[in-house]
Amino acid sequence: MKSFRISALFSAVALTLAFGANNAIAAGVAAGTPIDNTATVDYTVGTVTSTASSNTVQVIVAEILDVSVTPPAAQTPVAPGTTGQVLRFRVDNLGNGAEAFLLVANNAVTGDNFDPLAASPAIYLDTGGAPATAGIFDATDVPYVPGSNDPNLVADGFVYVYLVNNIPTTVADGNVGRSTLTASARTGTGPAGTVFAGQGAAGTDAVVGNTTALDVDQGEYLVQGVTVTATKSQAVVDQFGGTHPLPGARINYTIVVNAVGTGTAATAVFADNIPAGTTYVAGTLTINGNPLTDGADADSGAYETTPQPRVRVQLGNLTQASGTQTIQFAVLINATP
Amino acid sequence: MIKGTRNILAAALLVCGLASQAQAQGEQGCILLKSTAEVAKEVVDAKGVKTVTMVPAEKVVPGVEVTWTVSANNVCKQPSEKVTINNAVPVHMSYVGGSAFGAGSDITFSLDGKTFAAPAQLTVKENGVERAAKPDEYKHIRWVFKGSLAPGATAVARFRAVLN
Repeated sequence: MKSFRISALFSAVALTLAFGANNAIAAGVAAGTPIDNTATVDYTVGTVTSTASSNTVQVIVAEILDVSVTPPAAQTPVAPGTTGQVLRFRVDNLGNGAEAFLLVANNAVTGDNFDPLAASPAIYLDTGGAPATAGIFDATDVPYVPGSNDPNLVADGFVYVYLVNNIPTTVADGNVGRSTLTASARTGTGPAGTVFAGQGAAGTDAVVGNTTALDVDQGEYLVQGVTVTATKSQAVVDQFGGTHPLPGARINYTIVVNAVGTGTAATAVFADNIPAGTTYVAGTLTINGNPLTDGADADSGAYETTPQPRVRVQLGNLTQASGTQTIQFAVLINATP
Repeated sequence: MIKGTRNILAAALLVCGLASQAQAQGEQGCILLKSTAEVAKEVVDAKGVKTVTMVPAEKVVPGVEVTWTVSANNVCKQPSEKVTINNAVPVHMSYVGGSAFGAGSDITFSLDGKTFAAPAQLTVKENGVERAAKPDEYKHIRWVFKGSLAPGATAVARFRAVLN
């Protein structure tokens, strides 16, 4: 009898520990559910066999307060000075009753390179609804106002929460900035086992679960800057075999374009005006040694006369991996100014 | 005269009241059966020493183990034989394997409430294949006490189940 009790208690403690290791446990039986137990006994006295029932013991399922915040799946790439950059979190009610949650954003996170600047409003709640907009930050989502529209989640329910921040202009390529989202049960938080008498769903007690009824997780912005440089050089060839810039001499220009950084220079365009007193030599425009026709056509280069004479080359989405882009063209020095 | 009749009526009502109360408790016979539910409560004192005590389970949260105790007290002057306690695993709860206990009893389990057998004999057919039943699939527990229950003696059956 005594040994049973000890082993029973030990296994109860062991269960609690094992349970504590797993935060993402399903909500379980709904708060307020009554659980009844009645035993029966059959016995014989002399030759008479009888049956009896026990009292009915009733246990009411109390509300467990548990919450989980899931961070964004990946870093959000940003450029310096951009506004309205979004981190998507998910808040799950892991409890067994409906519960409202307070949401708090924090941008002053240690261990990162910069603090994102909170936009106004800085927190939005996904309205879900149509599958097309569920989980996607768009105009249907509503600003979060603490105490006014705290998300009230049913057991096992969840909501997507968007943190919206602006990126400082001073950040450098490769910098990381973090923001955290904290969700806490409105009924209360505390160490696992904390009881809020009578404050649970359906009038039961609310008991804090292993998540302490509070969870916090962080999302990251990664600055992907890119610097594009163009270096121009020239070679003069005069009509007498020399290198003097005489009227009638030809100037061969070479422009080397490089992108440096982890970002992408989207739809980069190179344009260079034909210097005054010179005339573009038709058919001399090339990129990386490949000729480009002068017309505005399918290839990426063109010679234009308006608003002024110039060459123009579309470089597309330029990254460091694109490598050096070499553009060449030639002009003749005019005989008359 | 009128007063006397009234007293008799009152006495008759009292008898009826007692009878119905006994009925409610489950046919007052030789064995008084009592069921209780308890949970383990860990208390840490000022010195940080943890003690675990059992307290009545009134409100429990999912994942918590409840210890159910059924006690059979022989209130007659004669011994009771073939004392057999039956208890269904409560709804929304899962029996904790190996937790059923009852001094001097043979314990068997049932998946359907009809056929009772030792755990090793309980099987479940899953996708056409027989496999051993898992403890959380046991739905009924039966304690058959060997020997007789002496007058005034109490037989205790106990098991644990976790709230789903």
